Amino acid sequence: MEAMTEIGVFEIGMTHYLVLGAMLFMLGVFGIFLNRRNIIVILMSVELMLLAVTINMVTFSAFLQDLTGQIFALFILTVAAAEAAIGLAILMVFFRNRGIISVDVVNRMKG
Amino acid sequence: MMDHAFLQDYLPILIFLMIAGGMAVLAVLASWLVGRQNPDPEKISSYECGFEPFAETQGKFDVRFYLVAILFIIFDLEIAFLFPWAVSLGYTGAFGFWSMVVFLGILTVGFIYEWKKGALEWE
Amino acid sequence: MVTFESLNFSPAIPEIFLAVMGMILLIFGVFRGDKGFRLVCWFTVFSFALAAVLLLHLADISSLAFGGMFVTESFAVVMKVIVLTGASIAVLMSMQYAQREKIARFEYPVLMLFSTLGMMLMLSANDLMALYLAIELQSLPLYVLAALNRDNLKSSEAGVKYFTLGALSSGLLLYGCSMVYGFSGTTNFNDIAIALSAMETPSAGLVTGLVFILAGLAFKVSAVPFHMWTPDVYEGAPSSVTAFFAMVPKVAAMGLLVRVTMGAFGGIAEQWQQVLWLMAAASALLGAFAALRQTNIKRLMAYSSIGHMGYALIGLTAASIDGVRGLMLYMTIYMFMSAGVFAVILLMVRKGQQVEEIDDLAGLAKYNPVMAVCLAVLLFSMAGIPPLAGFFGKLFVFQAAISGGFYWLAIIGVLSSVVAAYYYLRIIRIMYFDTAENELDRVEDTPSLFMMRGTAFLAVIFALIIWPLFHVLHEAVERLLAI
Repeated sequence: MEAMTEIGVFEIGMTHYLVLGAMLFMLGVFGIFLNRRNIIVILMSVELMLLAVTINMVTFSAFLQDLTGQIFALFILTVAAAEAAIGLAILMVFFRNRGIISVDVVNRMKG
Repeated sequence: MMDHAFLQDYLPILIFLMIAGGMAVLAVLASWLVGRQNPDPEKISSYECGFEPFAETQGKFDVRFYLVAILFIIFDLEIAFLFPWAVSLGYTGAFGFWSMVVFLGILTVGFIYEWKKGALEWE
Repeated sequence: MVTFESLNFSPAIPEIFLAVMGMILLIFGVFRGDKGFRLVCWFTVFSFALAAVLLLHLADISSLAFGGMFVTESFAVVMKVIVLTGASIAVLMSMQYAQREKIARFEYPVLMLFSTLGMMLMLSANDLMALYLAIELQSLPLYVLAALNRDNLKSSEAGVKYFTLGALSSGLLLYGCSMVYGFSGTTNFNDIAIALSAMETPSAGLVTGLVFILAGLAFKVSAVPFHMWTPDVYEGAPSSVTAFFAMVPKVAAMGLLVRVTMGAFGGIAEQWQQVLWLMAAASALLGAFAALRQTNIKRLMAYSSIGHMGYALIGLTAASIDGVRGLMLYMTIYMFMSAGVFAVILLMVRKGQQVEEIDDLAGLAKYNPVMAVCLAVLLFSMAGIPPLAGFFGKLFVFQAAISGGFYWLAIIGVLSSVVAAYYYLRIIRIMYFDTAENELDRVEDTPSLFMMRGTAFLAVIFALIIWPLFHVLHEAVERLLAI
């Protein structure tokens, strides 16, 4: 288990991968909430979150010596594609009705 | 199998997780609090080598491109299953073969649907 | 070596049947065009009925399929039958509404069918991978359904909001799954439970993962603080789709929540009980107070459903047989009561136009007493006034909370149902004591009229049929917790 890739003076262990995953995930979450310009950016943020999870899965899979995580990662990739397709289709419908895709205009209903 | 003591050693991850989130919050807050912000139209307008922008930056694309892109994403990524399947077909045998036939059958149903709907026609 | 025999398909036959029917109907519909809408609707309802029959023939099988990823036992069967009933009601009620609103595309029932299939798989998921795929199969069609009225700005906006927040929640859920997988070394619920019992104290990674999974599931049942999407999506989506949203997915998500918490993480109940305590109390309170100032009846129903999810979660917080049984009973009653109220909302038509303000109901009692009486009974039942159905739902949930020692939670529940009763009574007051400026049309929508009367009748006679139902639910929960 302790066998880790040596690159120069660095020892790249599971923690590094998990921190990468955590940071990408956070970036994705913040991207959804802080973006005011374009809804397409939300789609990209969602993809970023799912990618972060995929990195986590593959990391755990490698360090646990267990294949399940990699199979899970494959499923996440394909479902993410389906989700992106549906998201894009819904955005197109919205765009046709509204003529603009700023986040600020998604506000016909207040509550 | 797994080794709990080993994983317990990775408890610092959680601390890292909090740090990751904290750093992101900090960066956003800092730019919001410290930075002087008095935007005027000139400042926030897009800069194109001194002359007025020719076209809107959020230009319009033909809807048909989106449609093709959407259909492409789905069929492209479902192929991701074919590679591991092809490599391991020797181990999985008839079961693996027929599972993939079922999967491709389901994809074909989707394909017939989009063909018949006319989503594949350009004009 | 995996073979077709070792996968043990038989417990999943109803789901496989439904999937095949969905594909057949899709092909049938695309060749027939939108004029086949009614036919596809009837076939969908027929498929639901047949799937329920197939399910009930499996009632005594308590077994695993697909290498432990899929589990059936009487809990799953009971919940699935409830889900199928709700979905059938929703499809039947939609038929005329969809034609009036010009959204009668054949994809509509097919999407509902696939979403229902996802819900059935959710109720049988016994593995994080199955859980994720089932939830996605359930939500993706729902995003499309919300935006179904594609020439309407509100509907497409509802689709955008639902999609964005839904994708966020499935991201949270997945992150939780990856943590649980990493720190327990397995994705199977039974193995997670075994791994947990092997630890003296649950590792922090596992608890974090659990919290993320709970957050993802809380979104699906629209519990506070993940409820933001509910009012906007309820208001924006076509009413018949809102009816479906209100009735069915929540039952399935609650069932899944029970399996995850009581099953996989049953060993560390005190960890998730705190989270659920907060969610339950906050949902009940927010549902009661935010609904007070609503004027749109669909938004009001959204807040009302947030509140009801709070009461149902009170049952789960108790983490006992009584509590889970109370939750199942509550969800069953909630589903039928929502079906009735939404049947009335679908019947609110004035001069050929759908209306959805509460004030549009003014004076209803004078010119359409039957509809007014039915709605009043349903609302009294939702408010929990004895001896109507809703009273029993609340009674058993609060009872479980008290016997579990959650006195404050029970008190918060009772207080917020008192507040909630106020806005239900306000609607009744408007119907009975205000005068009508414009009368609503009399719509000949037989399925909706039937559901309105049927559910109101059910609410009244519920006291008579509660004991057999109670017995069935009790047995189901006992089996679930014995595994």
